[in-house]
Amino acid sequence: MFEIGFGEQGVVVVSGRLDAAQTDKAQEFLDQLSGPSTLDFSGLDYVSSAGLGVLLRTQKRLMSGGGGLKLVNVNPHIYNIFRYSGFDHIFEIEAASG
Amino acid sequence: MERAFKRSFDSLDEIFRFTESFFVSETIDAGLLHDVNFVVEELFTNMVKYNADGASDIRLDMDQANGALVVRLVDADSKPFDITKSPPVDISRPISEREPGGLGLHLVKKFVDTLDYQHADGETRITFTRRLS
Repeated sequence: MFEIGFGEQGVVVVSGRLDAAQTDKAQEFLDQLSGPSTLDFSGLDYVSSAGLGVLLRTQKRLMSGGGGLKLVNVNPHIYNIFRYSGFDHIFEIEAASG
Repeated sequence: MERAFKRSFDSLDEIFRFTESFFVSETIDAGLLHDVNFVVEELFTNMVKYNADGASDIRLDMDQANGALVVRLVDADSKPFDITKSPPVDISRPISEREPGGLGLHLVKKFVDTLDYQHADGETRITFTRRLS
């Protein structure tokens, strides 16, 4: 199950599993963002390389217009994937506390 | 424990239920499930993408041996593509030089202890292990 939508104060709330079967749904939502945006990953359990592609494509588009994504509440498993991908230098990331 | 899955990204939910049930039945540390699911998805979706016309389902076999988890994916109708020889990825490049794609096999190698590829008579067998302790 994968869900993405707007939460309070325009934060994008992402939950479930962002795998290869969910990339169209994720990309369709993220394509409507413009400017700096925060994605709350507190409910996100999993990201595959297909999900990383969606995030990178969005980051490149937003940064070309002076914006960008901030990822917050990132769990340790997902943080490792970002680190091993070099994405910790490409995105502003806040790890989940605890 | 073995099961065959249709050659489609839509099989992923069923695959994750299968891996989770294996972890539960074998009382394997659930902390490893994320990494194992990641590797299984990358290998499975590679088989789907690069052999989309294959006629067979893709088999997934999970077992324990010598203190390690042993996972094998078998595609009985496939062309050769040695995943162990995928080119290295330079993760230090700036975003302007990064493009979506190409990270899957790079990440797979971070999460496994061994990775073996065999291809014979149209059948691809990919086996990975991950230590359990």
